[in-house]
Amino acid sequence: MDIASELSRLLEGWMRWLRLRRALAWCLHGWVIGLAWGLLLGAAGMWQARLLRAEFLALAAVLALSGACLAGLIAFAWPLRRLEAARYFDRVFRLEERVSTALEFADAPASDLLQRQAQDAWNAAQRVKPARDLPLRFSRSEGLLALTLTLVIGLTGWRGTAWFQAAQQARAVQEAVAEQKQAMAEMLVKIENDPLLSEEQKRALSAPLEEALNALQDQPSLEGSVSILTAAGEKLQALSDPQAQELAQALSEAGRQLSLQEGSPLQGVGQQLAQGDAVAAATQLSQLDVSNLSQPEAEALASQLETLAQSLASIDPTLAAQLNQAAQAFRQGDRAAAGQALQQAAQTLAQAGHQMAFSQAAAQSAAQLQQGAGRVLAAGGGQAMQGAAGSQAGAGNSQGGAAAGGAGAGRGEGESGSSPLGNEAGSSPIPQNNGAGDGGKRAYEPIYAPSLLGGEGGPLVGLPQSGEDGEAVGVGPTAPGKEGGSLVPYDEVYAQYEEFNRRALENGQVPLQFMQIIRNYFDALKP
Amino acid sequence: MSELSVERFCQIAEQIENEVGRVIVGQAEVVRPVLVSILAGGHVLLEGVPGLGKTMLIRTLGQALELKFSRIQFTPDLMPSDILGTEILTDQDGRRSFQFRPGPLFANLVLADEINRATPKTQSALLEAMQEGSVTVAQQTYRLEEPFFVMATQNPLEMEGTYPLPEAQLDRFFFKVNVNLPDVGEMAEILERTTGKDTPAAGRAASGADIVQMRELARTVPVASHVREYIAKLVLATHPENLHASPLVQKYVRYGASPRGGQALMLGAKVTALLAGRYNVAFEDIQAVALPALRHRLLLNFDGLAEGVNPDSVITELLGALPM
Repeated sequence: MDIASELSRLLEGWMRWLRLRRALAWCLHGWVIGLAWGLLLGAAGMWQARLLRAEFLALAAVLALSGACLAGLIAFAWPLRRLEAARYFDRVFRLEERVSTALEFADAPASDLLQRQAQDAWNAAQRVKPARDLPLRFSRSEGLLALTLTLVIGLTGWRGTAWFQAAQQARAVQEAVAEQKQAMAEMLVKIENDPLLSEEQKRALSAPLEEALNALQDQPSLEGSVSILTAAGEKLQALSDPQAQELAQALSEAGRQLSLQEGSPLQGVGQQLAQGDAVAAATQLSQLDVSNLSQPEAEALASQLETLAQSLASIDPTLAAQLNQAAQAFRQGDRAAAGQALQQAAQTLAQAGHQMAFSQAAAQSAAQLQQGAGRVLAAGGGQAMQGAAGSQAGAGNSQGGAAAGGAGAGRGEGESGSSPLGNEAGSSPIPQNNGAGDGGKRAYEPIYAPSLLGGEGGPLVGLPQSGEDGEAVGVGPTAPGKEGGSLVPYDEVYAQYEEFNRRALENGQVPLQFMQIIRNYFDALKP
Repeated sequence: MSELSVERFCQIAEQIENEVGRVIVGQAEVVRPVLVSILAGGHVLLEGVPGLGKTMLIRTLGQALELKFSRIQFTPDLMPSDILGTEILTDQDGRRSFQFRPGPLFANLVLADEINRATPKTQSALLEAMQEGSVTVAQQTYRLEEPFFVMATQNPLEMEGTYPLPEAQLDRFFFKVNVNLPDVGEMAEILERTTGKDTPAAGRAASGADIVQMRELARTVPVASHVREYIAKLVLATHPENLHASPLVQKYVRYGASPRGGQALMLGAKVTALLAGRYNVAFEDIQAVALPALRHRLLLNFDGLAEGVNPDSVITELLGALPM
């Protein structure tokens, strides 16, 4: 038997055991370190409102597990030199340097003493039982530390609801802001590709959007994001021209009338106008061939032009004058002058079309931004505010619809509202052009007609004779000569005030610099 | 390869201890280091108050080992020639010549009793014999017969009129063994043995040739490299400026052990290993011989001397502090 080889084989087995023992010990080290890091990073994440409960727990678990696995693997794979391992085993197994000496002198010239030494080492090594002499053992203090850390993490996960909710809100705000950024990017593309807009108009419309987009890249706070979106919306809103909206409405109406004139040369123009495409209508008007018209046809055309001019007189006098001028030329039989006047009217109409498109785009963008600001604010308010957010968003759409002035910008669809109010608002079939101020997503407010005494459908009341008291219909809260007491408890009405305040804040009606003051005021009013 | 087997080595050593034990009661902590020193081929300095059996021990060893024994009582007027020998004028057939007459040093086992009472000059006369195993007189060198051991004794109490051994002399002693008072049981046994009618005597346990063979065998005991490094570190750590020096060493030691100290540790550990029935040197063997091998090699500084620091405590602390 080659004792050196046998010793080496035995040593390999011991080394495997040692690796396993080290790996297990380091697993615990890694577990504790992972837990500590998990707690540290989790606490930092919670403090910065970035981690949800599940993420916090998952972070701690992943770090602890990965720490344990990594440490265990490294410990297991850590290189062990044979001779050093033999020296270590000599000490822990109390072999009195037998094995290390035998291995070291294995290649030395054979002598009786060395052979005896090797045999002695082999005999001593065979008596060793690694599992008994080098048992797998964990440090009790380290185990307690691991347990404590686990408990602290569990307790933090259980009791840190406030931090996790804050994180959830922050996350929702981030997502909402990201959505708005995406929407703004799409708006920019849409503006860029709009053929009705001139380059100058595109630049004017893109500037506030790009500015807001850049400002949002810096990940501002909730108030900051809302402020940026609101400010951009206001800038865009300022670009929209209410008169252009009115003109568009008037042209659309006039176009509908014209489109009903069968066989009229202006029927096509009317159809285009009815569809809201004033530029196409202008093109068609400029291409109108009036040379072949008979005099009755010219007279009819003149009448239609006069009607059109009349409907536009209050909104666009220039266009109306040009149309009248063309009509007058038709009546006088001066086709050339009529054609020239029509060309001028077409040019004016085209310009108006461009202006209307610009205004419409500005209004649409403004409405989307206002709506986005509401969504961001709603996200910051959490679940409880989502219904209100839906309501607010509806208001935004409504504004857009109003700004579009009949161009049909209001969408009136339910968004993220989860509260009954939000759902109801979202599903309300609000028609377009429902007027500024009405909520596109808001429920109709009940309007009660006043009960007129003696009126139709009202209660019948006998009129008193002269000098007699009349019939008492109801009792008021006050009586002559007495102070009236409040019948509504303050804590009941406060909720309404608070609700109005919240809506005003969400709708961007309160300037940013006053938001905190208003909040403080209503906080002070709390019953 | 040595002809002597390890079993025989252990057997002879056991016999020696048994024979010594027939005369010397207890004192195992003295007998074993002395035996180790003899088997390693080193000289021993025994330090103890009078009456503890130092001389008896060495005399008994001489009997057990069947070695030529001589005792030299060191006194202040002892001259080197008194121990080395001298040339005397002889007249043989009318022809006069100087003839060397060996002194008591020409023995296998020399007991230098109360060595510190002799003058440094006489003490130094032992240097060559102890280190080289030879004596030079009148430009003539004489080899001493193997094995050759010097067993010196000194009394630590009566210091007046004594000449402390110089460091060079001390360093040549393989071990310095402290002889302490026996305990009650041992004392009673001593009284019983030495006041009766028959005085016990040691029988023969080994010859000089056996001792030489045992010494050769001991030298072949393998020592692993890390054990050797430990010895080297231990010796160097006795120097206060060394990186591994313990606080006590740094505070109280002026100069540490020489390489002879390391040799003593190594050889002593080898013999100890064999005596333990082991064929290799373990750390335990080194620690077992560290005190006798190093205690006389530590030169204490003024603080150490003033505070009466025991070198044993310094070495013990060093052994505990030095990683294996």
